[in-house]
Amino acid sequence: MKLPQGRLRKSRVVTDPREPLADVLDRAVTGYAVFEPQDSLLLDADGRGVVTFVDGVPVVAYHTGTDRGGPPALADLAVPGPYHVSVFELDGADLGPVHDVEDLRVPPGMPAERLAGDPALADSTRRAAPPERRAPAGTEAADDHGAVEAFLEDEEKIEAIREQARQEAKQRAAEWELNDT
Amino acid sequence: MVEVFAVASGKGGTGKTTSTVALGMALSERYDVTVVDADTGMANMLFHAGLSDAETTLHDVLAESASVEAATYERFGMTVVPCGTSLDGFRDADPSRLREVVARLAADTDVILLDSPPALDSRAAVLPVVMADRTVIVLQPTIPAISDGLKVQEYATSYDTDVAGLLFNKVREDGIERVAEKTERYFEGPTLGAVPESERAREARRAGRPLLAHAPHCDAAAAYRRAADSLSVRDGQSGEVADRFRSAVIPEPP
Repeated sequence: MKLPQGRLRKSRVVTDPREPLADVLDRAVTGYAVFEPQDSLLLDADGRGVVTFVDGVPVVAYHTGTDRGGPPALADLAVPGPYHVSVFELDGADLGPVHDVEDLRVPPGMPAERLAGDPALADSTRRAAPPERRAPAGTEAADDHGAVEAFLEDEEKIEAIREQARQEAKQRAAEWELNDT
Repeated sequence: MVEVFAVASGKGGTGKTTSTVALGMALSERYDVTVVDADTGMANMLFHAGLSDAETTLHDVLAESASVEAATYERFGMTVVPCGTSLDGFRDADPSRLREVVARLAADTDVILLDSPPALDSRAAVLPVVMADRTVIVLQPTIPAISDGLKVQEYATSYDTDVAGLLFNKVREDGIERVAEKTERYFEGPTLGAVPESERAREARRAGRPLLAHAPHCDAAAAYRRAADSLSVRDGQSGEVADRFRSAVIPEPP
């Protein structure tokens, strides 16, 4: 996926993708956000996730590490965090060619609902979407698990998450002296 | 017999307290059930069980200023042990005394459900999961909720706490069966159920009543009852469980 370089608007480290999604919606940003995982322990950490927006509403998603687009790209960019996130503004016309690629598109509420786990933010995002992107009641829902299912199909990533949690649990048990329970 | 379950999730907002109270009420048709607000930093259960005016709470017990019996209330067919809302109460409470409280309660109940804190970042937060026999992991069908659920499982199993099952909650759309099936592959327990998001649950919370008392015939209540039915409670000897909790070595914070 090729995009012209936009104007950098914000660049920061966040623990949760919810924050930039909410911020982009609040400010009705047209442009794109680049998500770069900071945790090199996990797979796909070398790749970056890109989500584009029109007036704050997500349109397409792409992951540079896996070369996947659409809902699976959201799964690819999902890591337990933190992320370095940069938000760029771009004219709507420059986003047009990328937005025409059907395979890259994501339902408006999916990043907030499935990646950030925030149903209220997802509802606000869906309300902000233009009428032609608002799925008839009940139909977006059927596709809406796509990102979660793609995440669950990534066995290596899930094993990495589990392994990281196991190590953390062990280390903390020692710190908290809970070993004897 | 007694079995202790931690009802846990790695993140907040999954409806853990609603689930704890609902599972408790459903299980109380078959067992003698005690539900405990083990999320001592964020008292919640009292609002779900019509106990917002409870004078003595678990905080007082953990501060050694009241007996366990004084903080237990018979409500909706269960024994409820709520936490209080005052900051002073929280400050004076020593979470490590929870093991003694659970040991006392274990003596005369069949099932103990510990509503656990939505975090794993301190000794107090993991304590319910450490102490329980098994954990019920409450999930939403989202990537962060499932990731956090995996984390809860790894913490639990590292303390030899088994996974009793997964409970999907606040489910807003179709297709949960596929997600549940794929999720189950990574968890050491079955899917107990999928509870639809419910306006009735919000109403119940506002009314200060458990969902199963407020709207017993709604879809969400039925889903909780089915989940409780699929949870087979194991026989544990009350005395052994009590001894295990008492002997758990949990030193005072430095």
